[in-house]
Amino acid sequence: MADNLLELREITKQFPGVTANDHVSFDLRAGEVHALVGENGAGKTTLMKILYGLYRPDSGSINVEGTGITIRGPRDAIGRGIGMVHQHFMLFPPFTVLENIVIGEEAHRAGVLAVNAQRARIEAIMQENGIMVPVDARVEDLPVGLQQRVEILKILFRGARILIFDEPTAVLTPQESNELFRTFRALTAHGKGIIFITHKLDEVLAVADRITVIRQGRIVRTMDRAGVTKPMIAELMVGKPVLLEVDRPLLPAGRTVLEVRNLKVRSPRGFTAVNGLSLSVKAGEIYGVAGVEGNGQSELVHAIAEGAEVEGGDILLEGASVRRWSVRKRREKGIAHIPEDRLKYGLLLPFSIATNLTLGRHDKPPFATRFQTVNNRAVRESARQIITQFDIRTPSENTPANALSGGNQQKAVVARELSAQPSLLLASQPTRGVDIGATEFIHRQIMKARSEGKAVLLVSADLDELLALSDRIGVIFKGRIIREFAHEQAVREEVGLSMTGEKADATA
Amino acid sequence: MDISFLVYFLAKGLEISSPIAFAALGGVFSERAGVVNIALEGIMGVTTLTLVWGAITFQSVWIGLVVAVFTGILMSLIHAVVTITFKVDHVVSGVAINVFSIGLSRFLCQSFFGAETQSKINPYLFPKLLGINSLAFWLIPAVAIAAFVLYKTVFGLRLRSVGENPEAADTLGVNVTAMRYAGVLISGALCGIAGATLFADKWITNMVAGRGFIALAAVIFGRWDPTGAVLASLLFGYADTFRIIFESRIPIPGQFVQMFPYVLAVVVLAGIVGRSRAPAWDGRNYEKGED
Amino acid sequence: MRQPKRRFSSHFLLAQAAPFMGFLASMVVLVAIVIFMRENPIKAFEAIFKFSMSSAAKLGAVLSISIPYYLSGLSIAIAFRAGVFNIGNEGQYFVGGLVGALAGVYLPMPTALHLPVVVIAAMLGGALWALVPAVLKAARGISEVITTIMFNNIGLALVNYLVNGPLSGMAKGVSLEPQTKKILPTALFGKLNGFFRSLGWKVPDYVYLDYSLIVAIIMGVVIWFLLFRTRQGFEIRAVGTSVDVSRYAGIKVQRVQVGAFLLSGAIAGLIGLQEIFAIRGFYTYNIASGLGFDGIAISLIAQNHPVGVVFSSLLFAFLKQAGYGLQLSTKVPNSVTYAIQGLMILFIVAINAIIVRAVRSLRKKELS
Repeated sequence: MADNLLELREITKQFPGVTANDHVSFDLRAGEVHALVGENGAGKTTLMKILYGLYRPDSGSINVEGTGITIRGPRDAIGRGIGMVHQHFMLFPPFTVLENIVIGEEAHRAGVLAVNAQRARIEAIMQENGIMVPVDARVEDLPVGLQQRVEILKILFRGARILIFDEPTAVLTPQESNELFRTFRALTAHGKGIIFITHKLDEVLAVADRITVIRQGRIVRTMDRAGVTKPMIAELMVGKPVLLEVDRPLLPAGRTVLEVRNLKVRSPRGFTAVNGLSLSVKAGEIYGVAGVEGNGQSELVHAIAEGAEVEGGDILLEGASVRRWSVRKRREKGIAHIPEDRLKYGLLLPFSIATNLTLGRHDKPPFATRFQTVNNRAVRESARQIITQFDIRTPSENTPANALSGGNQQKAVVARELSAQPSLLLASQPTRGVDIGATEFIHRQIMKARSEGKAVLLVSADLDELLALSDRIGVIFKGRIIREFAHEQAVREEVGLSMTGEKADATA
Repeated sequence: MDISFLVYFLAKGLEISSPIAFAALGGVFSERAGVVNIALEGIMGVTTLTLVWGAITFQSVWIGLVVAVFTGILMSLIHAVVTITFKVDHVVSGVAINVFSIGLSRFLCQSFFGAETQSKINPYLFPKLLGINSLAFWLIPAVAIAAFVLYKTVFGLRLRSVGENPEAADTLGVNVTAMRYAGVLISGALCGIAGATLFADKWITNMVAGRGFIALAAVIFGRWDPTGAVLASLLFGYADTFRIIFESRIPIPGQFVQMFPYVLAVVVLAGIVGRSRAPAWDGRNYEKGED
Repeated sequence: MRQPKRRFSSHFLLAQAAPFMGFLASMVVLVAIVIFMRENPIKAFEAIFKFSMSSAAKLGAVLSISIPYYLSGLSIAIAFRAGVFNIGNEGQYFVGGLVGALAGVYLPMPTALHLPVVVIAAMLGGALWALVPAVLKAARGISEVITTIMFNNIGLALVNYLVNGPLSGMAKGVSLEPQTKKILPTALFGKLNGFFRSLGWKVPDYVYLDYSLIVAIIMGVVIWFLLFRTRQGFEIRAVGTSVDVSRYAGIKVQRVQVGAFLLSGAIAGLIGLQEIFAIRGFYTYNIASGLGFDGIAISLIAQNHPVGVVFSSLLFAFLKQAGYGLQLSTKVPNSVTYAIQGLMILFIVAINAIIVRAVRSLRKKELS
């Protein structure tokens, strides 16, 4: 079609064991915002990486403005007018905005930088698209929303006509998200095309002209915005009616296990991330913390699990203050923690699964004897049991952790933390980057922990996960809990609205 | 204190600081590109030897200098290949090269001059200016050039970007590998000059005496900035000069005075208030396409 | 679930290949140098064999030389395992040796007590010299690479002063190298040669197979046991792998690092035992230097494993003798062995890095 900026035809990409993209066809018209929705692992990221030049498709063709092309790498992609705004910014924090934009394309006289000449062009682009950023500011001094604009300017500067946004609102405040959508409008008004990857259905309906749903590597449907509802999209994404009916046995009210009082926590970057936060979790209860990333959730969990950087307030476990307790003591007293980044915090990658399954309890019987020797037999036996119980796919308990798939690594972490029989489980993004099968399994395990009387603090960027599992949901915004919902009252739209900072009643 | 003494002190201090300062400049370039180079010490040991050999063999100290710079580049090339291409830990590689350098310099000395621990005397020296090795004065333009290259050229900007965020630099089309190699090889070349400013008339084992490591302390103290690193080096150098000139008049036993530059380095490092910021990817290996 | 892979799987064996391949590579370089110097390589290897392996005495010499090397390598192995780059074992053995010698000179007691006491004293001296860099690292995050190197130089100057001055044991008018008083006979290390001879290995008395061999063996076993059979050793290896994960698991990271650092210094303190207590009978700062740095090379080649260090220290001792053999019988100077040693480490660490990567991608392929 003459109007098509971009056409992907029958793109197929396979990795060992999985077909990430299966004969995918997709097109983008000039002047449209085209949303690409799908679950984790559906194949969106792979498709975009192909477009961006990081992967080569096994078969299929790519056309830009009618011409068939091969994309050999990111430089090639941008040369063809395809620009990507990544979820995790690719910026140089100590450099200025101007420097960040021009690196790789610097204007120079015989090697000496002459980038002031490019300043005018950048300012023109900013004016034209309504994207304003202080050009001489250092990127590390800018708020996240402005940093994202620098990313956009980078690709506009290089002549991008096809702009891909990968989960751009994950790190933005509500106002910043609105600014972003306004920017989309400005960009498309100039004939550019935007591919908007998200799984936030509200945003899709707010801003998309067309919507394409991808599931398990295949395109399910491409449709115009008119007449589409969220349940429709959700059902296409998952393949069945979405409401997750989780078995929710009614439990007697338990004792308060975790109490957070007026907590103040400093973030490593220097500002106060948790600002007078209070909440409590009872035994046999799952308390879900909902909120846009960057509102203090990570720091909250970190403060309960490890405790560095606490500036004020208190954290009580079964009535006792944990503030002076070492990490070891917190674990001894029954706190378990599924970390948000399993590779960075949760596993010693070169060590065996068996050893990894003892982390946190490695100094206690049966894994360590009274004489401080390691009881290898106990370690292996316990590991074999856990591997079977949790269905962790590994050739043996001696396999090093770095050989396992992401889903199995996460299962191992979850298995380990639950096997410690904690009284409080801190679960931070427990199913991030995990395939559907493992996700379901982990959800079942968390519910099981609940029926066993454990208290669970669940932090997740996946609102559907929170809605399905939590007995109560607390919305965190700017370091405080601004509203709580009981399970029956928790409706997607209202919770989502709260996440943007809207307080329903004046008392919150 | 009279003027001639002051001039002598300033000049001597410059001479003594210059090996540390040139090595520190090299350290800055390497680390700004993201490669930690603790082999400065060992490389200096070898370049000083090859300077002497080159000067004697070709009967010109300037050719000796060329040989020294060339040797520095070669030695640092080993570090570059091992860390950038084979992705070995930077400190491990640096230590290995230091060990290799000790052995290599002894071997070369024995092969060139017949004795393992000291070379023949080299009669071809750099011209003297104000009573000191005039090569030391090259430091002043060297700092200016280094700062200019690092902050005002395309090359410098890209080099720094690679040290900050190699992934981002890669996607923008900067050749991460080439920039890292460049940083390391520049540090090698500067080590060549550093070796030449040490002493040019004879090579003895252990003559570098830790200056390469003090240079690293100067890089940290100078916050990875060329001017800062050189100023820090001058601090160490002048402190040492002070010690040398007044040694006989200080009532402390000689060995304690000898300790002074090293103790100073430790004190300086310990006293740095707050963590100064190394380039974000300094010391970490980057693998393309790592997901 | 499939049958568990045996402990010594093909992957494990492949991972151990690096030292051998590195050794072979450096032998190739040695041959190249020999040929370049217009010597016959066969003659060169004959000379090497003759000097280092051709008799009980010669083999005994290799073993004797390997003892300080082993202790040095061991001291580095424990530090590097914890992620602590202790480059200061050079200074630590000069200071540790002095402290041990002082215990041997000034603390009269029966032999059965005196021997362990001087060993412990040497360990304390070495640990003491590691203390400041360890604390600076733990409390302020200051790179121990630079501080330990600085302390090497400070330590050497300090013992120089002490031995020339207050601790001097030289009689007036006698010109000797500066040294302490003589160590009491109860603390001197005796020889084990008689024991070996009774086993059939005819080692002559001029070869030093002394009590430091026992110390080395004991320390080796202790460290191996610590690292691989105890909880604390596991924590050391965990901290050396990832500080973040260790902290998450409740490990007291700073405590572990300082502990490993001090232990490393303590073992380094023992490096000079043979020379001070068996060979010389007094302390001088002229004891063999450079053993500390050699230990770094030795441990790196052995991938920081107490058992591997046995082999690499023997290898280094062998190379040292080989160098002399070459020098005596050919034109090749003995310093070539220093160069070869350095090259060997480079080969080994590079090859090791490649193999680790290859094994990891092989494993990933197998699992999918």
